[in-house]
Amino acid sequence: MGAFVTLPQAYSMTAAWSGEPHLSERTRETSRALELFLASVERKAFRIAQLALRHEDDALDAVQDAMLQLVRAYSARPAEEWRPLFYRILDNRVLDMQRRRTVRGRIMAWLPVRRADEEGEDPDPIAEAPSHAPSPGDRVEADEAMGALQVALEALPHRQRQAFLLRNFEGLDVAQTAAAMGCSEGSVKTHYFRAVNALRGRLEEHR
Amino acid sequence: MTNERQDFEGHTRKLLEASVDDLDGRIRSRLTQARYRALAELQHPQRASWWQWAPASAVAAVAVLAIALWAGSEYRTSAPVARATTFEDLELLVDNDVFDFVDEAPGADSYEFFEWAAVAADDGVASMGT
Repeated sequence: MGAFVTLPQAYSMTAAWSGEPHLSERTRETSRALELFLASVERKAFRIAQLALRHEDDALDAVQDAMLQLVRAYSARPAEEWRPLFYRILDNRVLDMQRRRTVRGRIMAWLPVRRADEEGEDPDPIAEAPSHAPSPGDRVEADEAMGALQVALEALPHRQRQAFLLRNFEGLDVAQTAAAMGCSEGSVKTHYFRAVNALRGRLEEHR
Repeated sequence: MTNERQDFEGHTRKLLEASVDDLDGRIRSRLTQARYRALAELQHPQRASWWQWAPASAVAAVAVLAIALWAGSEYRTSAPVARATTFEDLELLVDNDVFDFVDEAPGADSYEFFEWAAVAADDGVASMGT
């Protein structure tokens, strides 16, 4: 998998397959559509998972599992269904990881074992690469506002946070959000309304 | 109230989108790898098949092991009984007192008595048949 790190940006998985005669035209079309879809959701999905799990690597694992599950089980479904399905899978994965973490926490509380990442690792050169950052002043202000929003979002109940992020951040409509959350549209509206009120109350000074 | 609310929603959306744009290279790289790994499933779906059976195989192996251990323990518990019986037989054969007891039985000095008893028993069985 490390080879992908060095690929040029123009490289595309589907482009690499285009010369392979054994793949049917339908599979190629599906993979092309899936690649576009996954590229469009992966970063937001990561942020949503990170807000729920509060851990980068766990969030990355959750997103990867959701991608694999979508491709394995639902790639034949119409493309319009992928987004709510993907977020439904992601949410299930996040809940699984939270449950597992709770159990692991109870066990680890009795053992003097530390996680490898807490013991310090060599810095990742890609992580150290500069991003297109704004000016330091703007950055500080944005970081403070985002930090406060992140704390407020993390403090929300799971369903409220999910409704808020799917509706406001991911841009799903009420019906798609209901499909992703596995609940009624009325529940989505209630969760969303409560989430907005709670966040407004907590972020009064950042508005 | 509605405008304030919409402003708030717009503001939080911008913050969240900015946080996505600022994701570092390591995370972007790992997301790209995850996407390619998922897409590779379309190309080689059969690759997953061997480990999909792994849990069932593990359960079957554990079941076989449990049966083997159970059968082994059954064998171990029954073997001493068989051995004990064999030793008892040997003791009987070796023990002279047993033959003394036979010698001391009534009529033991006379084989005619046993012959008579055997004939009488055969006759009794034959008469019951008729």
